[in-house]
Amino acid sequence: MDRLTDVLTALSHPTRRAIIGQLANGPARFLDVAKPFDIALNAVTKHLKLLERAGLIERRKKGREVYISFRGEPLREVVGWVHEYERFWNERLDEFEQFFKNKKERRKSNEAL
Amino acid sequence: MKHSKNILEFRFERTIPAPPGEVFDGWLNPKIPGNPWNAAEKLILDPQVDGLFYWTLKGTSHYGRFTEVERPGRIQHTWMSPNTLGQESIVTLTFKKQGEETLMTLVHSGLPDHELARGHENGWNYFLNIFHEQFGDGPRRKYRWEDAHSPVKK
Repeated sequence: MDRLTDVLTALSHPTRRAIIGQLANGPARFLDVAKPFDIALNAVTKHLKLLERAGLIERRKKGREVYISFRGEPLREVVGWVHEYERFWNERLDEFEQFFKNKKERRKSNEAL
Repeated sequence: MKHSKNILEFRFERTIPAPPGEVFDGWLNPKIPGNPWNAAEKLILDPQVDGLFYWTLKGTSHYGRFTEVERPGRIQHTWMSPNTLGQESIVTLTFKKQGEETLMTLVHSGLPDHELARGHENGWNYFLNIFHEQFGDGPRRKYRWEDAHSPVKK
Protein backbone atom coordinates (compact mmCIF):
# COMPACT_ATOMS: atom_id res chain seq x y z
CA MET A 1 0.00 0.00 0.00
CA ASP A 2 1.14 3.57 -0.57
CA ARG A 3 1.73 6.06 2.20
CA LEU A 4 -1.52 8.00 1.66
CA THR A 5 -3.55 4.78 1.92
CA ASP A 6 -1.71 3.88 5.13
CA VAL A 7 -2.49 7.30 6.60
CA LEU A 8 -6.16 7.20 5.60
CA THR A 9 -6.48 3.65 6.95
CA ALA A 10 -4.88 4.73 10.21
CA LEU A 11 -7.31 7.64 10.52
CA SER A 12 -10.36 5.57 9.66
CA HIS A 13 -10.84 4.12 13.17
CA PRO A 14 -12.25 6.24 16.05
CA THR A 15 -9.93 4.63 18.61
CA ARG A 16 -6.87 5.47 16.52
CA ARG A 17 -8.09 9.03 16.06
CA ALA A 18 -8.59 9.28 19.82
CA ILE A 19 -5.04 7.95 20.36
CA ILE A 20 -3.69 10.61 18.00
CA GLY A 21 -5.75 13.26 19.78
CA GLN A 22 -4.24 12.13 23.09
CA LEU A 23 -0.67 12.05 21.74
CA ALA A 24 -1.08 15.51 20.18
CA ASN A 25 -0.83 16.77 23.79
CA GLY A 26 2.60 15.25 24.12
CA PRO A 27 4.46 11.92 24.24
CA ALA A 28 3.11 9.19 26.51
CA ARG A 29 4.07 5.70 27.66
CA PHE A 30 2.20 2.68 26.30
CA LEU A 31 0.12 2.09 29.44
CA ASP A 32 -0.82 5.77 29.60
CA VAL A 33 -1.94 5.62 25.97
CA ALA A 34 -4.00 2.48 26.67
CA LYS A 35 -5.53 3.74 29.93
CA PRO A 36 -8.56 5.70 28.61
CA PHE A 37 -9.71 2.80 26.41
CA ASP A 38 -11.84 -0.04 27.56
CA ILE A 39 -10.18 -2.53 25.23
CA ALA A 40 -7.54 -5.25 25.58
CA LEU A 41 -3.91 -4.15 25.60
CA ASN A 42 -3.13 -6.26 22.53
CA ALA A 43 -5.92 -4.39 20.66
CA VAL A 44 -4.19 -1.11 21.58
CA THR A 45 -0.90 -2.60 20.34
CA LYS A 46 -2.54 -3.38 16.98
CA HIS A 47 -3.88 0.15 16.69
CA LEU A 48 -0.43 1.56 17.49
CA LYS A 49 1.18 -0.65 14.85
CA LEU A 50 -1.15 0.74 12.19
CA LEU A 51 -0.41 4.30 13.32
CA GLU A 52 3.30 3.55 13.27
CA ARG A 53 3.12 2.06 9.78
CA ALA A 54 1.46 5.29 8.60
CA GLY A 55 4.27 7.28 10.20
CA LEU A 56 1.82 9.07 12.50
CA ILE A 57 3.57 7.98 15.69
CA GLU A 58 7.08 7.04 16.69
CA ARG A 59 8.57 5.31 19.70
CA ARG A 60 11.58 6.69 21.54
CA LYS A 61 13.44 5.17 24.42
CA LYS A 62 14.15 7.47 27.36
CA GLY A 63 16.05 5.57 29.99
CA ARG A 64 14.03 2.47 30.76
CA GLU A 65 10.78 3.89 29.39
CA VAL A 66 9.54 3.88 25.82
CA TYR A 67 7.63 7.02 24.91
CA ILE A 68 5.20 7.19 22.00
CA SER A 69 4.88 10.52 20.26
CA PHE A 70 2.74 11.96 17.49
CA ARG A 71 4.19 12.94 14.09
CA GLY A 72 2.08 15.37 12.06
CA GLU A 73 4.06 15.32 8.82
CA PRO A 74 2.07 12.48 7.08
CA LEU A 75 -1.08 14.59 7.49
CA ARG A 76 0.39 17.13 5.10
CA GLU A 77 -0.02 14.53 2.38
CA VAL A 78 -3.70 14.10 3.22
CA VAL A 79 -4.28 17.84 3.11
CA GLY A 80 -2.33 18.21 -0.13
CA TRP A 81 -4.28 15.39 -1.69
CA VAL A 82 -7.48 17.40 -1.75
CA HIS A 83 -7.46 20.40 -4.05
CA GLU A 84 -8.74 23.66 -2.64
CA TYR A 85 -11.57 23.85 -5.17
CA GLU A 86 -12.58 20.26 -4.51
CA ARG A 87 -13.23 21.23 -0.90
CA PHE A 88 -14.76 24.58 -1.80
CA TRP A 89 -17.34 23.26 -4.28
CA ASN A 90 -18.25 20.24 -2.14
CA GLU A 91 -18.85 22.53 0.80
CA ARG A 92 -20.95 24.96 -1.24
CA LEU A 93 -22.97 22.25 -3.01
CA ASP A 94 -23.68 20.39 0.25
CA GLU A 95 -25.05 23.60 1.72
CA PHE A 96 -27.08 24.33 -1.44
CA GLU A 97 -28.57 20.82 -1.45
CA GLN A 98 -29.38 21.08 2.27
CA PHE A 99 -31.23 24.36 1.71
CA PHE A 100 -33.58 22.70 -0.79
CA LYS A 101 -34.01 19.62 1.42
CA ASN A 102 -35.00 21.85 4.35
CA LYS A 103 -37.34 23.80 2.09
CA LYS A 104 -39.03 20.57 0.98
CA GLU A 105 -39.38 19.41 4.60
CA ARG A 106 -40.93 22.71 5.58
CA ARG A 107 -43.37 22.47 2.68
CA LYS A 108 -44.36 18.94 3.73
CA SER A 109 -44.88 20.02 7.33
CA ASN A 110 -47.07 22.93 6.26
CA GLU A 111 -49.14 20.64 4.05
CA ALA A 112 -49.63 18.23 6.95
CA LEU A 113 -51.03 20.97 9.19
CA MET B 1 -10.84 14.54 -11.07
CA LYS B 2 -9.21 14.65 -14.51
CA HIS B 3 -5.55 15.56 -14.69
CA SER B 4 -3.68 16.36 -17.91
CA LYS B 5 -0.59 18.51 -18.49
CA ASN B 6 -0.95 20.12 -15.05
CA ILE B 7 -4.49 21.28 -15.86
CA LEU B 8 -7.20 19.95 -13.58
CA GLU B 9 -10.90 19.41 -14.00
CA PHE B 10 -13.28 18.71 -11.15
CA ARG B 11 -16.79 17.38 -11.58
CA PHE B 12 -19.50 17.35 -8.92
CA GLU B 13 -23.07 16.08 -8.97
CA ARG B 14 -25.96 16.66 -6.60
CA THR B 15 -29.61 15.70 -6.75
CA ILE B 16 -31.65 18.66 -5.59
CA PRO B 17 -35.27 18.12 -4.46
CA ALA B 18 -36.79 20.91 -6.57
CA PRO B 19 -37.54 21.49 -10.29
CA PRO B 20 -34.69 22.77 -12.55
CA GLY B 21 -36.09 26.33 -12.82
CA GLU B 22 -36.14 26.74 -9.04
CA VAL B 23 -32.63 25.29 -8.67
CA PHE B 24 -31.31 27.46 -11.52
CA ASP B 25 -32.79 30.59 -9.89
CA GLY B 26 -31.45 29.51 -6.50
CA TRP B 27 -27.92 29.21 -7.85
CA LEU B 28 -27.98 32.79 -9.09
CA ASN B 29 -29.67 34.26 -6.01
CA PRO B 30 -27.07 35.53 -3.48
CA LYS B 31 -29.62 35.08 -0.68
CA ILE B 32 -29.66 31.29 -1.10
CA PRO B 33 -27.07 29.45 1.03
CA GLY B 34 -24.54 27.29 -0.80
CA ASN B 35 -24.00 29.18 -4.03
CA PRO B 36 -20.65 30.96 -4.29
CA TRP B 37 -22.21 34.42 -4.14
CA ASN B 38 -23.91 33.81 -0.80
CA ALA B 39 -20.68 33.75 1.20
CA ALA B 40 -19.28 36.95 -0.35
CA GLU B 41 -18.38 39.96 1.76
CA LYS B 42 -18.49 42.19 -1.30
CA LEU B 43 -20.43 41.11 -4.37
CA ILE B 44 -21.11 42.42 -7.85
CA LEU B 45 -23.18 39.99 -9.92
CA ASP B 46 -24.67 40.42 -13.37
CA PRO B 47 -25.79 36.94 -14.48
CA GLN B 48 -26.38 37.45 -18.19
CA VAL B 49 -24.18 36.62 -21.19
CA ASP B 50 -21.12 38.89 -21.01
CA GLY B 51 -22.22 40.06 -17.55
CA LEU B 52 -19.44 40.14 -14.97
CA PHE B 53 -19.10 39.08 -11.36
CA TYR B 54 -16.74 40.04 -8.58
CA TRP B 55 -16.77 38.67 -5.07
CA THR B 56 -14.39 38.75 -2.22
CA LEU B 57 -14.00 36.80 0.98
CA LYS B 58 -11.33 37.43 3.62
CA GLY B 59 -9.20 39.34 1.17
CA THR B 60 -9.42 36.79 -1.65
CA SER B 61 -11.01 38.22 -4.81
CA HIS B 62 -12.73 36.24 -7.55
CA TYR B 63 -13.66 37.57 -10.98
CA GLY B 64 -15.51 36.13 -13.93
CA ARG B 65 -17.65 36.64 -17.00
CA PHE B 66 -20.86 34.78 -17.81
CA THR B 67 -20.60 33.06 -21.18
CA GLU B 68 -23.85 31.03 -21.16
CA VAL B 69 -27.03 31.68 -19.21
CA GLU B 70 -29.83 29.44 -20.46
CA ARG B 71 -32.65 29.07 -17.95
CA PRO B 72 -33.36 26.45 -16.67
CA GLY B 73 -30.70 24.13 -18.07
CA ARG B 74 -27.24 25.67 -18.19
CA ILE B 75 -24.91 28.32 -16.78
CA GLN B 76 -21.28 28.84 -17.76
CA HIS B 77 -18.85 31.47 -16.59
CA THR B 78 -15.15 32.05 -16.34
CA TRP B 79 -13.51 32.06 -12.92
CA MET B 80 -10.31 33.80 -11.90
CA SER B 81 -8.77 33.88 -8.45
CA PRO B 82 -5.27 33.74 -6.93
CA ASN B 83 -5.57 29.95 -7.25
CA THR B 84 -5.95 30.12 -11.05
CA LEU B 85 -2.66 32.05 -11.38
CA GLY B 86 -4.21 34.68 -13.60
CA GLN B 87 -5.65 32.09 -15.98
CA GLU B 88 -9.34 31.93 -16.81
CA SER B 89 -10.80 28.67 -15.55
CA ILE B 90 -14.31 27.65 -16.59
CA VAL B 91 -17.28 26.73 -14.38
CA THR B 92 -20.16 24.96 -16.15
CA LEU B 93 -23.42 24.07 -14.44
CA THR B 94 -26.19 21.95 -15.90
CA PHE B 95 -29.63 21.30 -14.43
CA LYS B 96 -31.49 18.22 -15.67
CA LYS B 97 -35.02 17.23 -14.66
CA GLN B 98 -35.17 13.88 -12.91
CA GLY B 99 -38.79 13.21 -11.99
CA GLU B 100 -39.63 15.87 -9.43
CA GLU B 101 -35.95 16.55 -8.71
CA THR B 102 -32.99 18.06 -10.53
CA LEU B 103 -29.67 16.46 -11.32
CA MET B 104 -27.23 19.35 -10.93
CA THR B 105 -23.73 19.00 -12.35
CA LEU B 106 -20.89 21.42 -11.75
CA VAL B 107 -17.66 21.10 -13.75
CA HIS B 108 -14.73 23.36 -12.88
CA SER B 109 -12.17 22.99 -15.68
CA GLY B 110 -8.92 24.59 -16.75
CA LEU B 111 -7.52 24.82 -13.23
CA PRO B 112 -3.74 24.93 -13.02
CA ASP B 113 -2.31 22.34 -10.64
CA HIS B 114 0.13 24.02 -8.29
CA GLU B 115 1.21 24.09 -4.68
CA LEU B 116 -0.82 27.19 -3.83
CA ALA B 117 -4.04 25.30 -4.36
CA ARG B 118 -2.88 22.06 -2.83
CA GLY B 119 -2.26 22.02 0.86
CA HIS B 120 -1.49 25.71 0.86
CA GLU B 121 -0.06 27.19 3.99
CA ASN B 122 -3.25 28.66 5.43
CA GLY B 123 -5.17 25.45 4.92
CA TRP B 124 -2.39 23.47 6.48
CA ASN B 125 -2.12 25.71 9.53
CA TYR B 126 -5.86 25.79 9.86
CA PHE B 127 -5.88 22.03 9.79
CA LEU B 128 -3.24 21.79 12.48
CA ASN B 129 -5.04 24.31 14.65
CA ILE B 130 -8.23 22.30 14.68
CA PHE B 131 -6.42 18.98 14.68
CA HIS B 132 -7.64 18.14 18.11
CA GLU B 133 -11.24 18.80 17.27
CA GLN B 134 -11.06 16.85 14.01
CA PHE B 135 -9.23 13.77 15.16
CA GLY B 136 -9.48 13.81 18.91
CA ASP B 137 -12.48 12.44 20.74
CA GLY B 138 -14.00 15.87 21.30
CA PRO B 139 -16.61 17.57 19.13
CA ARG B 140 -15.66 17.91 15.45
CA ARG B 141 -15.67 21.11 13.52
CA LYS B 142 -16.65 21.23 9.88
CA TYR B 143 -14.15 22.50 7.32
CA ARG B 144 -14.95 26.13 6.57
CA TRP B 145 -13.54 27.94 3.58
CA GLU B 146 -13.62 31.21 5.53
CA ASP B 147 -11.48 29.82 8.35
CA ALA B 148 -8.99 28.16 6.02
CA HIS B 149 -8.51 31.46 4.23
CA SER B 150 -8.23 33.75 7.20
CA PRO B 151 -4.79 35.15 7.96
CA VAL B 152 -2.53 32.73 9.77
CA LYS B 153 -2.05 33.53 13.45
CA LYS B 154 1.57 33.10 14.43
